[in-house]
Amino acid sequence: MNGPGEFICRVSRQVSLGTNYYLIELEAPVLAQTVSPGQFAMLCCGEGFDPFLRRPLSIHQVNKHLGLVSFLYKVRGKGMSWLSRRQSGDQVSLLGPLGRGFNCSKPGSKGLLVGAGVGVAPLLFLASELVDRGWELFILMGGRSESGILRPDTFMEYGEVKIATEDGTSGIQGSILELLADELEKSSFDRLFSCGPVAVLKGVQGMSKEKGIPAELSLDEWMACGVGACMGCVCQSADGSYLRVCREGPVFEAGEVVLSG
Amino acid sequence: MADLAVNLAGIKMENPVMSASGTFGSGVEYDSVFDIGMMGALVTTGLTLESKVGNRPPRLCETPAGLLNAVGLQNPGVDVFIKDVLPEMLDFGVPVIANIAGSTKDEFVEIAEKFSGTGVAGLEINISCPNVKTGGMALGTAPEVAAQVVGSVVESTDLPVIVKLTPNVTNIVELARAVAAAGADALSLINTLLGMVIDVEQRKPMLGNVVGGLSGPAIRPVAVRAVWQVAQAVKIPIIGMGGICTGRDALEFILAGASAVAVGSAFFNDPLAAVRIIKELDEYCGEHGVDRLQDLVGAVWK
Ligand SMILES: Cc1cc2nc3c(=O)[nH]c(=O)nc-3n(C[C@H](O)[C@H](O)[C@H](O)COP(=O)(O)OP(=O)(O)OC[C@H]3O[C@@H](n4cnc5c(N)ncnc54)[C@H](O)[C@@H]3O)c2cc1C
Ligand SMILES: Cc1cc2nc3c(=O)[nH]c(=O)nc-3n(C[C@H](O)[C@H](O)[C@H](O)COP(=O)(O)O)c2cc1C
Ligand code: FES
Repeated sequence: MNGPGEFICRVSRQVSLGTNYYLIELEAPVLAQTVSPGQFAMLCCGEGFDPFLRRPLSIHQVNKHLGLVSFLYKVRGKGMSWLSRRQSGDQVSLLGPLGRGFNCSKPGSKGLLVGAGVGVAPLLFLASELVDRGWELFILMGGRSESGILRPDTFMEYGEVKIATEDGTSGIQGSILELLADELEKSSFDRLFSCGPVAVLKGVQGMSKEKGIPAELSLDEWMACGVGACMGCVCQSADGSYLRVCREGPVFEAGEVVLSG
Repeated sequence: MADLAVNLAGIKMENPVMSASGTFGSGVEYDSVFDIGMMGALVTTGLTLESKVGNRPPRLCETPAGLLNAVGLQNPGVDVFIKDVLPEMLDFGVPVIANIAGSTKDEFVEIAEKFSGTGVAGLEINISCPNVKTGGMALGTAPEVAAQVVGSVVESTDLPVIVKLTPNVTNIVELARAVAAAGADALSLINTLLGMVIDVEQRKPMLGNVVGGLSGPAIRPVAVRAVWQVAQAVKIPIIGMGGICTGRDALEFILAGASAVAVGSAFFNDPLAAVRIIKELDEYCGEHGVDRLQDLVGAVWK
């Protein structure tokens, strides 16, 4: 595996996806060649030393041919807000590719993607790679309301999409976990892939165990170095020790980790 | 190119820029990012006698101009480290200093003895970690206790012994004098400042460990002051650290009396920080007609 590198990238495009959500596309030819789905980068999101830490963002989409890498993100605070003000032609520094991504080397079978909120970010790159490898995909997307269902049309290019929103403005009214339970009742899958808030990951983990279907979960933890050096970003492993989300993760087999919260 | 070299208590470095313990892993993590062989020296993560799982998460929290951490010395233990990790570190061809963290005086001696003949260039005694229940800072706040630990380690090893001090004391000069008298070959100043952040929505502490150590630019003036005070009170060389992000930051420490500097949290902001700092030190020397960087050590008070 190639190690990470530090790159100064030109912004080729910044697209607003409604309130608080953005898609930023960067010219990063080396990263585009080496990255795999579920991996992430640490982006410098400010000038000078404010904010001090870089922000981890999952790779959302890759165009190997044009050397482009994009990130889908939600503005929560200072860092993402700074990033959202970058325009094409500006520069952004990043460190990547980082972490262990999804295991998609397996030959084609039937997969179910479960993405809640901005947790769909890593699932698009994953979907495109899985489809390339002959997988048949079903995609569940969840959010508070329609504005939090990100890029459903793009996801539809890779498989059948079902949506759940808490207020019922798109898809069924309810939680993505209800949708998941429903789907697992109706048909069988070879593997689940999920990213989103810990409550959703816990639900997926529970159902994966109950149904005996392997699942891969992409975790979120505060990070400082992003490369496995500082031991700051750990989650609890099934054997009680701590695993670095940035190195052993961010994607884990559901049985590997104990989720808190 | 100015002469940036330094001989720190017998540890020969090509330049004064080291990694700060616990922030740089073994260096292998950054191997593909830049040429680790251009660092002055590498300092290992804090090593304990037995392996340590560390504190429960969350372990990090960003703060204004810095971060709070409560890692709690997660490490594989000294034996596994020497067998599996140290060889890779030594391959970089720069001096490697082992940061050791016993929970008692005897444990410090036992760990120190294990490093004899392993190829490390020196030991950094960590009596300043704020994130563990035994040892750490508890052994490093009372001058008599600290001096006993240091004296015992110095007797048990031929390696240069660097003592890393905590700023969480009333009088850091008194502490520095005591460990210098006990035979320390050099001092590292400073470890993190004890701090706390509260999540007002959850009404709970942000860190799993409740309190943690503050690092980064936020603590730099405190660290520069500590180096300035201690450098005038002891004869042994000092490694300065605390929020160093640029060559000019490093120069503040050198002018205050540090012979070498360590870069820690800055790697999180800019993985190329050390490379840049070395370059900026050289540029400063060029611009100011300085032939040997070591001539500037303590220049504000000498
Ligand atoms: C491996 C990984 C991949 C990620 N991928 C994406 C992605 O593709 N798109 C995306 O929108 N977000 C992603 N995130 C989360 C993203 O890193 C945070 O939202 C971002 O750091 C917020 O920065 P900020 O400066 O805008 O907010 P801040 O001002 O730092 O924080 C705003 C609020 O968010 C909370 N917060 C900030 N960072 C985190 C975090 N890492 N975990 C939990 N809570 C946090 C803070 O406690 C605070 O309440 C990912 C996180 C990880 C670890
Ligand atoms: C995540 C983290 C882990 C650390 N671990 C250790 C350690 O194991 N041993 C030690 O002596 N100091 C440790 N430190 C303290 C640093 O080595 C350094 O003294 C301190 O962070 C101040 O420098 P800085 O502001 O440049 O980071 C740690 C600091 C951080 C941020
Ligand atoms: S962020 Fe430093 S080890 Fe993961």
